[in-house]
Amino acid sequence: MRFLRVIAVGTLAAFAAVAVNAAPQPGKPALTATYADATQPDISGLWVVTGAMFFSPDHALPKLKGQYKALYDKRTKAFNAGIAIDDPTADCLPAGLPHLFIVPYPFEIMQTPGRVTMLYEYDSAVRRVPLGVTAPASLDPDEAGYYGSSYGHWEGDTLVIDTINLRGGTQLDFSGLPHSDALRISERLHRKDATTLEDRITLTDPKAYEEPFTVTRLYRARPKWKIAEYVCEENNRNRTDAQGRTRSGASKAKQE
Amino acid sequence: MRMSCGTYRIPAVIAVCLAICAVFAARPATAHHSFAMYDRGKLITIEGVVKEFQWANPHVWIEVLVPNAKGAQDEWSVECTSVNFMTRHGFTRHTLKPGDKISITLTPLKDGSLGGSFKSVKSLNGAPLALESED
Repeated sequence: MRFLRVIAVGTLAAFAAVAVNAAPQPGKPALTATYADATQPDISGLWVVTGAMFFSPDHALPKLKGQYKALYDKRTKAFNAGIAIDDPTADCLPAGLPHLFIVPYPFEIMQTPGRVTMLYEYDSAVRRVPLGVTAPASLDPDEAGYYGSSYGHWEGDTLVIDTINLRGGTQLDFSGLPHSDALRISERLHRKDATTLEDRITLTDPKAYEEPFTVTRLYRARPKWKIAEYVCEENNRNRTDAQGRTRSGASKAKQE
Repeated sequence: MRMSCGTYRIPAVIAVCLAICAVFAARPATAHHSFAMYDRGKLITIEGVVKEFQWANPHVWIEVLVPNAKGAQDEWSVECTSVNFMTRHGFTRHTLKPGDKISITLTPLKDGSLGGSFKSVKSLNGAPLALESED
């Protein structure tokens, strides 16, 4: 019992130490932390993207190459005719990165020693970002994923994250902007003020883009929100048809 | 349709409803799939009776029976945002129920099917819907 009590007191003391270290300092924004690592600049808490649902807030486009330009032209033509094609999210597949950066659902940043973890409401996705690890030049393409592998380090108050080994086939946004499996993402995340997180996102994709494409997205703190469950498969009426077109879901649909 | 109005007086409710309309208008009702299918910029209002209120993800759906010119009823399918979004705007799975008389403003489907993307809803049973802004 005494042993247990010692552990309990020790644990309390550890929490108290974190609480003291994490107390707001003069001139610094108060923490929104649900769990912050006092040794890192604080970006913890709940955030939600602001602005348009196009990948770039001003709808700027990357300079697309060859087959990727042709693919986007085809999707744009269909979009303007009221038809979405090739949209994996319509079938409840993950939005993946980089689309997840602009999905208008909150995500929580958790900072623990040696690691930053992003817990997304949408798709219940999780990104694990180890700190102080340099991204390798490449990884096994057989292991490419919707979210890839991320590696982070701090440069002053900016968290730099490199993400590699992403699968092709996901889209940047609902306009159908493509990328290839050669995509690498570099992020520069920093807290602009107490309630604003900025992410400067650079997409480098030599197969699909003529040059790196950079956009800046802002995220607003939502300290009172809670991450809720999101299960896409429960009542999906928008599955794609045999031609890869997103169904309207209307009970009396005319499109089939 | 009984709604708990909280501390809101009528003008506040109207203001809040306007705020909600603005919020929904600013974003397509879908965040799960492309919004290409909707005739964006166009808004129509339908009045009818709720047949079904499907409170589930990825989208909440309202099936509404609307009287047509032939004296019969058309079934409209109104696609809302997700349970997550709707909850943050004050909706619950009990906000609407079969038999409720409502007026819904929506962005119609481009292909002419009877449906659209939800923008706002009003009760025609008397009591205003008490919905709060997302803060």
